[in-house]
Amino acid sequence: MTGLHWDQIRAVIRLEMRKTFFAKRGLWVYLLALAPLVLFLGHAVAMRFVNLSRSHLAARNEKPLSSTDFAAIQEGMSRDEVIARLGRAPISYEHTRHSRNERDEREEWQEQIDRYSDGQSDYRFTYRDGKLAAMDVHGGCDFGRDSIIFATTFQLFYLRLAVFFGCLGIFMNLFRGELLDKSLHFYFLAPIRREVLLAGKYLAGLIASVVIFTTSTALQLFVMGWHLDSNSVSNFLYHNHGVAHIAAYLGVTVLACVGYGSVFLAAGLLFRNPIFPAAVILIWESITPFLPALLKKFSVIYYLTSLCPLSIPVDSGAPSLFTMLVSNPDPIAAPAAVLGLVVLAVLILFLATRSVRHLEINYTTE
Amino acid sequence: MSVSGIHDRILCDNLSKFYGEALGVNRINLTIPPGITSLVGPNGSGKTTLMNLMTGLIHPSRGEIRILGLRTDQPEDLFRLVGYCTQFDSFPKGLTGYQFVYSYLRLFGYDHVKSDRLAWRAIERVNLVEAARRKIAGYSKGMRQRIRLAQALCHDPRVLILDEPLNGLDPLVRAETIALFREYAAEGRHVIVSSHILHEVDMISDQVILLSNGYVVAEGQIHGVRSEIEEHPMQILIRCRQPGLLASRMFQQDHVVEVRIHGDGAGLLVKTRDADRFYRMLNHIAAEDIDIETVAPADDDVNSVYEYLIGEEGVR
Repeated sequence: MTGLHWDQIRAVIRLEMRKTFFAKRGLWVYLLALAPLVLFLGHAVAMRFVNLSRSHLAARNEKPLSSTDFAAIQEGMSRDEVIARLGRAPISYEHTRHSRNERDEREEWQEQIDRYSDGQSDYRFTYRDGKLAAMDVHGGCDFGRDSIIFATTFQLFYLRLAVFFGCLGIFMNLFRGELLDKSLHFYFLAPIRREVLLAGKYLAGLIASVVIFTTSTALQLFVMGWHLDSNSVSNFLYHNHGVAHIAAYLGVTVLACVGYGSVFLAAGLLFRNPIFPAAVILIWESITPFLPALLKKFSVIYYLTSLCPLSIPVDSGAPSLFTMLVSNPDPIAAPAAVLGLVVLAVLILFLATRSVRHLEINYTTE
Repeated sequence: MSVSGIHDRILCDNLSKFYGEALGVNRINLTIPPGITSLVGPNGSGKTTLMNLMTGLIHPSRGEIRILGLRTDQPEDLFRLVGYCTQFDSFPKGLTGYQFVYSYLRLFGYDHVKSDRLAWRAIERVNLVEAARRKIAGYSKGMRQRIRLAQALCHDPRVLILDEPLNGLDPLVRAETIALFREYAAEGRHVIVSSHILHEVDMISDQVILLSNGYVVAEGQIHGVRSEIEEHPMQILIRCRQPGLLASRMFQQDHVVEVRIHGDGAGLLVKTRDADRFYRMLNHIAAEDIDIETVAPADDDVNSVYEYLIGEEGVR
């Protein structure tokens, strides 16, 4: 690479940026990137409201209560005993319940409901005949549970679908879109090596995809912690590898763009119809866990899942498709995964340069 | 051919291009010197294919092509010497005329100042300054043609390849564009032009290449090509005061095959198989007793040549 080549790459990137970021047909890429963000944002907003209402409820307790106070309450205790320990409930109401007994006779009984909160959780005590019959606790969110939800969404939806199809939309259009628009000759009439043109277009696509998808990842992580109190957040960040996890998710998103970008750039040069290569690659990526060790090295998701900071727990009764998608029986070490993915991308781009060298402008066949 | 010759010529050596089983061009052997060269032929004759081959947009199925000694699969070198105004009427989306030319120049690796200067110079040459800041999507056909022309010549190429460059241009711009081609040719550059409009080709070309069904059927200076078509005698129109007397003198020559007195009685049309002998004979006559006003070839143009070589259906 000479200085001239870098100048030319910059010129290509400048031209491509406008198209990649502002193309009308690329709108769905933004929608894909924003979909999980909307999900987490909705959850965060809902939890903010829940937390707010719990704080208000806790403020109405007769005395300050903590989770320890509630831990002392047992089913079977009388209402008076509970009130003696916790004070009168800020919300209390009665209602009549009914059902049919074994002889199909209608039965009715009164229930007394008392609601408390310690500011974190919501406690709902149901009394029958003056005794505590049921105790429902609606706990607050914690980073542990939310992290698993995030990891599942990230691996199953974000990497495998959002980034995958987003890169398809961005990178396949770099050459194929211009062939369809009949405007690729603009580049081919310039004194620029086809390899340099390919590098410029790839970098333009990479910048666009990285900006779109890592921004979305960062925002998802931000809103995931938005509704939690600062103690929980700092505890997660500094005592539970939170910073390392965030860095890992952002890094994996960048590497996903590097890997899928190279795959779909090459596919755009080799195939006219994106559906066929997209379907084949999607299937290939899905069956990676069952591939022999050598073939796994030609899968982008193999490296990405190895780099994800959390593995998704699988219940014994989970659907087999879910189990298949989240399993990674033989993950590799992070440095080897990064190196492997970069080598795979370079290899694919090298093959793409051979294809672009022989590409002809023959719009009538497109 | 000497090395210096190679570096001053466009060479096609047994050049063929097939699209699957369809023929683009076949066995083209050409040596094109500097000057204005016109590629003439009906639709599908192979003009655009030949131009696309010259610029590396498509690759030969067989044979080789060299532009001033350069291979066409090296765009990094080729397009510093070559400018190509294609017939593709599509542009990168959202660009203004100026941005289109400027961005093209940035691809050369030129800095902003140089690209800006060259872009405006090219835009001025095609008279599009006022519209340069407008989006190309809003241009008329003629304006789009001119901005493509500006792109082709903005880097001052030694070889200008133009596919139907006069299409859609109004008469004034057409005249200016032809003048521009002549200026380029006068500087010793190559200007390769394809056209359907034969009288225009006839007017501007130093040499023509006639194509039909992917084959070169004739090439060279138009008058030279015409004189080689022996089965069609040359037609010469003579204006004079004594056409009857002149006709009787003409009939004494064995190379004259037909003489027709013009309807207005002030001239005659002569068909001869040997133009050189005819003109020598005419000089003698003019020097002796018959007052000849004008002498002009009647079928010494691309139109006639094309008709003789390819047939009526080929003439547009």
